[in-house]
Amino acid sequence: MIMSSKARLQAARALVSPASSPPGPVLPFGDDRIDGLLPGGGLPLARWHEAGGEGLDVETAVSAAAFVAAVITPLARKGAVVWVMRRDDLHAPGLFGLGFPTRSLVQVKVRDETQALAVLEDALGCAGIVAAVGEIDTVDLTAGRRFQLACERHGALGFAIHRRPFGGQTRRSVSGSSSATRWTIAPEPSEPESGEFGLGAPRWRVSLDRCRGGRSGAWIMEKTDEPYPLRVVADLADRQLAPPQSLRLVG
Amino acid sequence: MEGAAAATHTGGVAPIPGFAGTSPRGGRENEKRPFALIATESGVRRLFAVDEAAAGLGLFVGQKATDAAALVPELVIADADPAADQAALEALCDWCARFSPAVAIAPPDCLFLDITGVDHLWGGEGAMADDLVARLAANGIPVRTAVASTPGAAWALAHFSQGEVIAAPDATMARLAPLPIQALRLEAATAAQIARLGLVTIGRLAGTPRDQITRRFGAGVVLRLDQALGRVEEALVFRRPRNPWFTRLAFAEPISTPDDLARIATDITAAMCARLDAEGRGARRFELCFHRLDGLAQRIAIGLSLPGREAARIARLFIPHLETIDPGFGIEVATLTADEVETLAPRQQRLDAAAEVAPEDGLAPLIDRLIGRLGAKAVWRADPWPSHTPERAVIRRPPLAAFPGGGWDLARPRPLRLFRRPEPIEAMAPIPDDPPVSFRWRGAQHRVRRAEGPERLAPEWWRSPRARVRDYYRVEDDTGARFWLFRAGLYGETPAPKWWLHGLFG
Repeated sequence: MIMSSKARLQAARALVSPASSPPGPVLPFGDDRIDGLLPGGGLPLARWHEAGGEGLDVETAVSAAAFVAAVITPLARKGAVVWVMRRDDLHAPGLFGLGFPTRSLVQVKVRDETQALAVLEDALGCAGIVAAVGEIDTVDLTAGRRFQLACERHGALGFAIHRRPFGGQTRRSVSGSSSATRWTIAPEPSEPESGEFGLGAPRWRVSLDRCRGGRSGAWIMEKTDEPYPLRVVADLADRQLAPPQSLRLVG
Repeated sequence: MEGAAAATHTGGVAPIPGFAGTSPRGGRENEKRPFALIATESGVRRLFAVDEAAAGLGLFVGQKATDAAALVPELVIADADPAADQAALEALCDWCARFSPAVAIAPPDCLFLDITGVDHLWGGEGAMADDLVARLAANGIPVRTAVASTPGAAWALAHFSQGEVIAAPDATMARLAPLPIQALRLEAATAAQIARLGLVTIGRLAGTPRDQITRRFGAGVVLRLDQALGRVEEALVFRRPRNPWFTRLAFAEPISTPDDLARIATDITAAMCARLDAEGRGARRFELCFHRLDGLAQRIAIGLSLPGREAARIARLFIPHLETIDPGFGIEVATLTADEVETLAPRQQRLDAAAEVAPEDGLAPLIDRLIGRLGAKAVWRADPWPSHTPERAVIRRPPLAAFPGGGWDLARPRPLRLFRRPEPIEAMAPIPDDPPVSFRWRGAQHRVRRAEGPERLAPEWWRSPRARVRDYYRVEDDTGARFWLFRAGLYGETPAPKWWLHGLFG
């Protein structure tokens, strides 16, 4: 069979390119500065993602939890969300204050990591569940692969919030991960509107550390209401400015 | 409780339908002959019960069988069977449910019917008792009835007074006074001893000082007297109507392997679900019971968040629990009961699988699985609860329970993480009633950059009278982390107010 060198090159590219799989449905942030970096123009559904924090947040994971709750709020209006945790200190009025519809939230308390992973996988593979969030220490490669398969079954979004048990050991380092994106969330001082006292809307320093098929970046984001739950306040210009096409060729 | 208990008593002959049907008297020609039941007591065969004809010929309960046979050669005898009597009394009890939903058995020969609020359906207590007697007489069961305010009085009047008695609530003492002391449901030996002292009637016993009775005969006598007179409540154990949703599998050979148990769980669930399906019902609760050869019954109960009848799904919920079953020498019978049975219309399967998923397909099975694995308390939905105390503003409900509506007050921000126990902090607050300028929590110093508050929450004094007033502040430190602090107590109070960290905002 005779093929032109161009066609052969295209076929070879299709084999190695991670963008060969058609982009599925996504959850957009509503701001090109983020959506432009993500493949498909938003957080891909039917994939699982990671979020973590630094400093005190490693144990409390409160900024990451708030960020994740804000991100999945549009999904939660459409279906049930399962939130798996070992410490049941998630306070529903706080979620409600972030605009999260708590009536569609199922909270599950588990005893250990293994159970948390099993419940997450079970929930992700279930019809009618739009997203599942797990507060876990580490997700190893096998567990990540199983998450991925469970997410693909019904197109649910998975989120692993890294949270170390109180007084626990330092997190075991995991070399690789099958997650679609990895985020680090840190709190950021709020700016109340001029003439107002007290605290402003919550802000976070959000950094997209790793993004499969996209690029990384960092922003300061603020909680708003409409039409999207988060608003980019400032672009922290410390990301790589390489064009997406060349990255794909390398990767 | 108004005129409440009716006792039906049945006379000397074992009165019960089991005997009426399976009477060992033989053919028709024997019907007029005297009849007695025989029981063996410490090696001697004695009369256990006699019918009216036999009693008329001078036979009595407790007489030696040989003496009775010598006196009345034509006497027909049969062996007493207490188990059959009990079964027949239970059957009669179930039948009595037509008169009152609350029927209790008082072995060996008595039934209590709680007729509070049902006698008007028959046009009064008398008409009700007449109907009961007539229906039982038509079945060949002689009974005596009494209506009284207490079970004890009804028992006494049914056993020891003549004819049908209806005792008005204020006439209980007057009715009981002439009755013999045995009418108090005492042990035979105790009753005989009391009678020997001359206290032959209840009236005389009631006139005796209580402390003396207690000292001589124990507290039981006074208790029985008080129960009969209504001074002390008496709890009756009512026989529940049988659950019609019951399936049973019996095995020719006892089973014990885990595979067999799993197969049995699947089969028996399928049988039950086929019944539920045929009648258009679904159940929320299933209880699987394995009966061992040695008589031990081991149960597994599971619950569904929505009524269901999908055999495969329900069986899968049982299977993880099968390892708790100890088969011992083997299991011979398995039973399955379904509770909280509700009408469940058949659902139409959707052709467009991608469209919205009904909770019966997705969420409900998941929640049932999680509850089965982790326990009912580990899976919940947090709903608003009207309390201003932060830790009580949330109630945990089953995830598929009806949503009560409403939410929390958005004008009073609440933290995303609320600690079950507030953590003590060392706070620097220069001016009383101002938020702290810095505080130390978990070994790290935080400088407060912005603060909001105070929001004063008074303690729920009816719960913990010694709780102190709390002034809550929302503060943000210089890194932007947001905390929920409170000061318990007011400045100037003793002990000095203390600062706590109660939660974290995202």
